[in-house]
Amino acid sequence: MSVLPFPSFLDDIKEKGIKKAIFEGVDNIVERVTAGMNIQDIREALRGETPTRRPNPRLQPHADGFWLHMRPSFFHKDMTGLYPTLRLGWLSTYMVAFETITGMILMVWYTPSPQVAYGNMVNMLANVPLGQLMRDLHRLGAEGMVLIVTLHMLRTFFTGSYKKPRQFTWFTGVILLFATLFLSFSGYLLPWDQLSLWAVTIGASMIEATPPEIVGTNLNLLIRGGPEMGANGLLRFYLLHVLLVPAVLFIFTGVHYYKVIVHGHSLPPKSENIGEDTAKRVPLDKRVYFIPDMLTSEVMWIAISTLVMVVLCIWFYHAPLENHADSQITPIGTTAPWYFLWIQGALKLGDKVLWGVIFPGVYLAFLAVVPYIDSTKSRRFADRRVALTVCFLLMSFTTILSYMGLSEYGVAASADTKIIHEMTKEPAYNKMGLLLPIPFDRLVPGAYTTVQFEGDAPDSAAINFNAEIEENGLRAELTSQLSKVHLASNYQTLPFVAVPDNAPELHRALEEFYELLETNHEELYNAWGVVIVTQNQEGLKRVDVLISWDEVQLDTGRVIKGEDGLPILVLDAEGNTTRRWSVGHVFVHENSAYFEN
Amino acid sequence: MATANPTQARAGAAAQASAVEVSPVSRREFLYYIWGASIALLLGEVGAGIIWFALPRFKEGEFGGTFPFSVSDLPALGDPPVSVPEGRYHVSVVSENGRKALVALYGVCTHLGCLPKWEPVNVRFACPCHGSQYQIDGRYITGPAPRGLDRFPLTITMADGRVLTNGVDGLPIDISDIILDQISSITINTGKKVTGPAHGAEPALSVGKA
Repeated sequence: MSVLPFPSFLDDIKEKGIKKAIFEGVDNIVERVTAGMNIQDIREALRGETPTRRPNPRLQPHADGFWLHMRPSFFHKDMTGLYPTLRLGWLSTYMVAFETITGMILMVWYTPSPQVAYGNMVNMLANVPLGQLMRDLHRLGAEGMVLIVTLHMLRTFFTGSYKKPRQFTWFTGVILLFATLFLSFSGYLLPWDQLSLWAVTIGASMIEATPPEIVGTNLNLLIRGGPEMGANGLLRFYLLHVLLVPAVLFIFTGVHYYKVIVHGHSLPPKSENIGEDTAKRVPLDKRVYFIPDMLTSEVMWIAISTLVMVVLCIWFYHAPLENHADSQITPIGTTAPWYFLWIQGALKLGDKVLWGVIFPGVYLAFLAVVPYIDSTKSRRFADRRVALTVCFLLMSFTTILSYMGLSEYGVAASADTKIIHEMTKEPAYNKMGLLLPIPFDRLVPGAYTTVQFEGDAPDSAAINFNAEIEENGLRAELTSQLSKVHLASNYQTLPFVAVPDNAPELHRALEEFYELLETNHEELYNAWGVVIVTQNQEGLKRVDVLISWDEVQLDTGRVIKGEDGLPILVLDAEGNTTRRWSVGHVFVHENSAYFEN
Repeated sequence: MATANPTQARAGAAAQASAVEVSPVSRREFLYYIWGASIALLLGEVGAGIIWFALPRFKEGEFGGTFPFSVSDLPALGDPPVSVPEGRYHVSVVSENGRKALVALYGVCTHLGCLPKWEPVNVRFACPCHGSQYQIDGRYITGPAPRGLDRFPLTITMADGRVLTNGVDGLPIDISDIILDQISSITINTGKKVTGPAHGAEPALSVGKA
């Protein structure tokens, strides 16, 4: 007779006593949750014992549970070590999950609109607890995912695992690579900073170059939502980033892994005969069961990689955030992210249709069909000389192109522009102008010159400099240059002094300025530099940087040298040297985030 | 089996194929094919509809407009171009074939849409993205750009009612014989863009008239 009008847990207690009833109840729940393993089974597995129950309960979760239904219940011993997989496939899968989770967390504080997106970033960095950590993790994870996926692909190539019957697995892998790259790229735009805007403007213009013209123009309009990158473009990139491309990625991750399971994990080339594929025939003594060996190993790998990323993001890495997007200024030194530098390098070679559309298209298409071209049977290095040579050539080629993608290559800027940029540039790639990180109160107002470093007596050098420019008439020219950039007139004629002792950071920045001029002494002949710090308003200082030098003859940016090895000066009709000037300035607010307060 | 005649070979293959009994298309089968084809057509229409839906539309005059340019802002010959960021253009006074001329350049690189900056020392526009360079009149110097900078039509209205324009070709307008005081207005039409000159184009003056 039941305690209640229906059979219940209370009957168990009455029958077995409370302790035993609770234990059996919990045991029962555990077995249901794990789809087949009770507490005793789990403990046996974790202790490394053989299962006592028959049928083997460690196979049940694969047969009856959802989460393990696609995972094999045992693996071949030869592929469970670090070699040959290096666990890169598993880590790629983990990165998908990692990016999805951190991405969903970031979405809580993000609105895809040009008016608020950048403010969201600042808010996340300043006001949201763990906001910066989440952003850093998502960004570092994205870079890590590109790296891991690429390494996974290289590993698959080197072990010849793309060969029959796994050609299609490789093909879906290339689709996943493409999705990974596009996810990374579309995520670039979302903070709506300068880096975002110009990287994506270049990307969208490459799409616009797709022939024929009607296709390119319309693709460009579709992706930007207008003739220029604006609110529509941001929203579209956001939707691609959080919905469409992840959907493609998830589906093809499924297809890819299903194919891996169908064909079995390929064994190291040396452990089977040429042309044989024994991955699916695992002898009993070679079996390594998923529960517990592979499961614990996989958990260990993702735990280590999470730990590494968290440590990096706390102490060593912060996701870059540049200034608010400005559609009217392209920053100097605009470069693509490192994994797209090869395309940026190719784009410098010439025609944008050829190098921006056809070349990357053919490159990726070639990767996709590699297994159908290289149909030789052997997976051993000695038999794959051509394939490996092509692979190494492609890797070298891509590395060289990536080097060419750097802003140092092929993008001309005169030495003075570069130096002024170096002194005053807004933060980009976690670097900023030398003058910006000087603490506000130690940015002492005054006029300073690099001449103070020529010799041992800074004070007298500055005094002499005042007299010198007064004498040779350069003072008037200097005043007029400063007036052109609207420096207040009472500051235009400040006498130069040596940097005071209470401004050590300013002293260091000026010294580096001096060294930059020295390094470029051929192009900037007889040069001196000036830094003028002024304050017109409470809490806001203006820093002007000026370079003056004798113009030398240049041939496409290179100094032409005379027979004596010295640069040839540009002389006017009367045989006098031509004095050139270059000016830049930056405002520093006392609450700027450039320096630690 | 060596077959002398290719026709015979094909006939032989056909005979072998027909050995595997394939009955002709039945009515039911045919209707399924028609059904499948109509689904494919419908999906195609849905795809076209999505593209139609997502394509941005522009109203007449929504993009670009007419910008006035103050005569007093005109640079002297040899001075750097005057940049107007809100209209994304530069106004250059250039010496073209020995004549002083005025031209308005669209400030967007013809390569991939970055904004080249005027470099006073090298006397040229240099693009920070992929290194294309242009002369002061927008003609191509070097780099991956497919052509020189695009141009906007300029209209110069004189106090006496004469109108100078380069609406046809966007090329520099000869202003050697014009006294600046007699210009009553200069306007730049950013709604009409004239494609920039090809590589190696010779300096040329506008033939005038719209």
